[in-house]
Amino acid sequence: MNQKLIKEFEELLGKNRVLSEAEELLCYSYDATSKEFMPDVVVFPLNSNEISNIVKLCLKYNTPVVGRGSGSGFSGGSLPLKGGVVVSFTKMNHILEIDEENMFVTVEPGVINADLKSYLAEKGYFYPPDPASYEFSTIGGNVAECSGGPSAVKYGVTKDYVAALELITGDGEIINTGSKSVKDVSGYNLTQLMVGSEGTLGLFSKITLKFLSNPEANSLILVSFDDIGNGFNAAISLLKLRNRPSMLEFMDKSSIESVKSYFKSDIIKIEGAFLFIIEADGSRLEVGESVAEYEKILKEFSPVFLFSSGSEEEKRVIMEARKAISPSLRKYGDLKINNDIAVPINKIIEMLSFIEGISKTYNVPIINFGHFGDGNIHVNIMLNKDDADMVKRGEKAKFEILKKTAEAGGSLSGEHGIGLEKKEFMKLKYNDYYMNILKNIKKVFDPRNIINPGKIF
Amino acid sequence: MEDKDISYLNCVHCGKCLPVCPTYRISLNEFYSPRGRVRLILTDNNDVLPLKVSKVAEAMSTCLLCGRCVNICPNDVKIGDLIINERIKLNELQDNKFSLGAIALKALKNKRKILLKSALKIANIPIINQLNRRFVPNPQGKAFISARNYRFKADRNGAGGKREEIRAGYFSGCVFNSIYPQISADTVASLVKNGVSVFVPQMQGCCGLPFISSGDISSFKDLALNNANAFKAQDIDYIVTSCASCSYSVNKLYPLYFNKNDEGYSEVLNFSKKLLNIWSFFKVLEKKGIDIKAGELQKETDAVFHIPCHLLNSPEFKPSSYNEGLIGEAGLIVDKIAGLKLKPLKHNYCCGNGGMFNIRHYDLSKEITRLKFEEIKEAFPQNILTSCSGCMFSLSDQRGILKEQQGIPVNHLISIYAQSLKE
Repeated sequence: MNQKLIKEFEELLGKNRVLSEAEELLCYSYDATSKEFMPDVVVFPLNSNEISNIVKLCLKYNTPVVGRGSGSGFSGGSLPLKGGVVVSFTKMNHILEIDEENMFVTVEPGVINADLKSYLAEKGYFYPPDPASYEFSTIGGNVAECSGGPSAVKYGVTKDYVAALELITGDGEIINTGSKSVKDVSGYNLTQLMVGSEGTLGLFSKITLKFLSNPEANSLILVSFDDIGNGFNAAISLLKLRNRPSMLEFMDKSSIESVKSYFKSDIIKIEGAFLFIIEADGSRLEVGESVAEYEKILKEFSPVFLFSSGSEEEKRVIMEARKAISPSLRKYGDLKINNDIAVPINKIIEMLSFIEGISKTYNVPIINFGHFGDGNIHVNIMLNKDDADMVKRGEKAKFEILKKTAEAGGSLSGEHGIGLEKKEFMKLKYNDYYMNILKNIKKVFDPRNIINPGKIF
Repeated sequence: MEDKDISYLNCVHCGKCLPVCPTYRISLNEFYSPRGRVRLILTDNNDVLPLKVSKVAEAMSTCLLCGRCVNICPNDVKIGDLIINERIKLNELQDNKFSLGAIALKALKNKRKILLKSALKIANIPIINQLNRRFVPNPQGKAFISARNYRFKADRNGAGGKREEIRAGYFSGCVFNSIYPQISADTVASLVKNGVSVFVPQMQGCCGLPFISSGDISSFKDLALNNANAFKAQDIDYIVTSCASCSYSVNKLYPLYFNKNDEGYSEVLNFSKKLLNIWSFFKVLEKKGIDIKAGELQKETDAVFHIPCHLLNSPEFKPSSYNEGLIGEAGLIVDKIAGLKLKPLKHNYCCGNGGMFNIRHYDLSKEITRLKFEEIKEAFPQNILTSCSGCMFSLSDQRGILKEQQGIPVNHLISIYAQSLKE
């Protein structure tokens, strides 16, 4: 059956857009989690009709079909858990239309986030969502996982920018959701249902995004504290400002250590146990005023280190270091359990001290960093793959942390998604009745359960 | 050579290397990406899944060894070295004697007079001509080095009066000896005018890069040793090359593949330490307080400088002018040429040559070059400048790729500098 399916794909797309040799499939068996599943075939569509035909063929052969952008996800969203067909969107990487009057841009899902950012920036516009992977992750993947990043504290996340979608359902039908009107209440809001649905309800073929005008200037402040309480209170004070920061990132001692080499010692000397990266943006005048105001407030909380970046080079170094934390953690262990919990901001301290206790109880290193401004903490439990007992302890630590997150009124995942990595923890937050609603929604869009099966629940 | 490189174990599949890889950017297929190649190397080393040798070889041979992925990898996976090691392994498994690449390689390694006719021979291999693929242009005149050693005396008048004599060797590399001999002449002339005495030994040969990048480690080592010996007896402080790929091979790869127990280990290491690319050498002169001679072009013009992937700036280099900020150490020489305006390139894409890559995967290579010309077109310069033999090949060969670029001159920056000193 497999050979027949491959042959039909080759007839549909041409041989050069179908991969079926083991060596090629191996290159599509992973993402940024440490899990791996071999697909049976990889296909590269160029438009919605081809995707529709791909899904119809999968229905005919009763084969799962999983969308994939850059394969940089942290929850297994693009992994072919049950084999089948991986649909790579990398060749659908065109910006289709820019509507400057209404300020919307329509793109294919394979466009790299950074390419869209720079395309818009050249015209004086700004697409804010900035996951740490924005230089290589695709817009399609960003929408599927509702990616966010440091700028969320002021500008929100992917869901705040998606206005309309074209997608192919599990029946192989092409539907269009949403519109370019700011106000739109005709029927259920299927667009927002799709954002963050982790590729389980359909395959996107066109994405219409809102954009903003580019802020004229920005400036960064690095500040660190020895006392976590001081740091917390300082940060809360900044968030209350009318001109709140456009970024408020934090790093604990181990994450600072992991990327210390990025902060060239002759530019920036890092001290302290708890570091914030703070950004102000706006007009030149506003940025100057904000930086002065932030500094004045921060100084009231006895920081051990305060640095305002002047040059573009310094800013670049600081942001490179921030982006490098996650992949650099490998030095603390070769197996990472990466949790991106989100809690109400006033629970962050409680959460961090709970995590510290768990780290001691289960004797596993846990490294925390993330988006303080929106309560989204990346909790990284670092383990040694070959130490079975340690892996077990790590899993227990993860359970305790997620349980505590649910109790604190938080979310199991701020931006990575549930995917494979956290599905067994959904019951910590939701009862059977609620989970059934989710399952029934999936059935409506994908009655035969062939679109990315085995994820979320 | 240190212990076997197992840095592939550090890869966490983050995907950061995908968009910087020239072959991924063109194919958008992970089989041709650093992450995919590292994954194949991991599996091949763990023997968990039987892999087809020919298929693994395809993934490995399509790497240009440009090093862009290595530079941005947050986990220090030495992708280029891993690929070379894999190629060495595959080379032992496969019989490649009759492939196009093998014939070209054979021509380069003419043991008796390694350098003299080697590159000329490649250009004239009948099989290659039959394929009607002009990846090697016809030689521009007689080879630079022909029958003996040369010595060029420093021009002490023009070099800021009395000071210590600086003696340097010149390492031409095959291409700048045989295909573009004028570049060698221009390099030597520029050195001499800056008060440097230059020694050019006849017995120097290919730097070995085409061999090691094809997995032929024994020929690579033969050539490295030959080069080290050619310069050994001379009392010289520096050896200068104007080819970025040669300096990459000598500076980066020679130390990596020579063991302490190898014959000629210390000679080869010594040679490797002395060799500098031409732009680093001018920075050394500047640091010694020597005023680099300024020249002037008769007619004002503008240019882009294509930064070769293998152009290595000194580790402590910090740009001290606008031009250095744009293109690194080479910017110093642009600063010295009145009448030459440098235009920035947006992405500094790879030119697509990659040495043997261009011979083995000509169509893929051309696609990468096309992308390069798209960014050149945006800058719309009157000249294309660079400083690597491979880049010179691809940029000259493909300059007709876009209608707008037909006939645009492609030159080594050192030639423009030499010209400005004459005028």
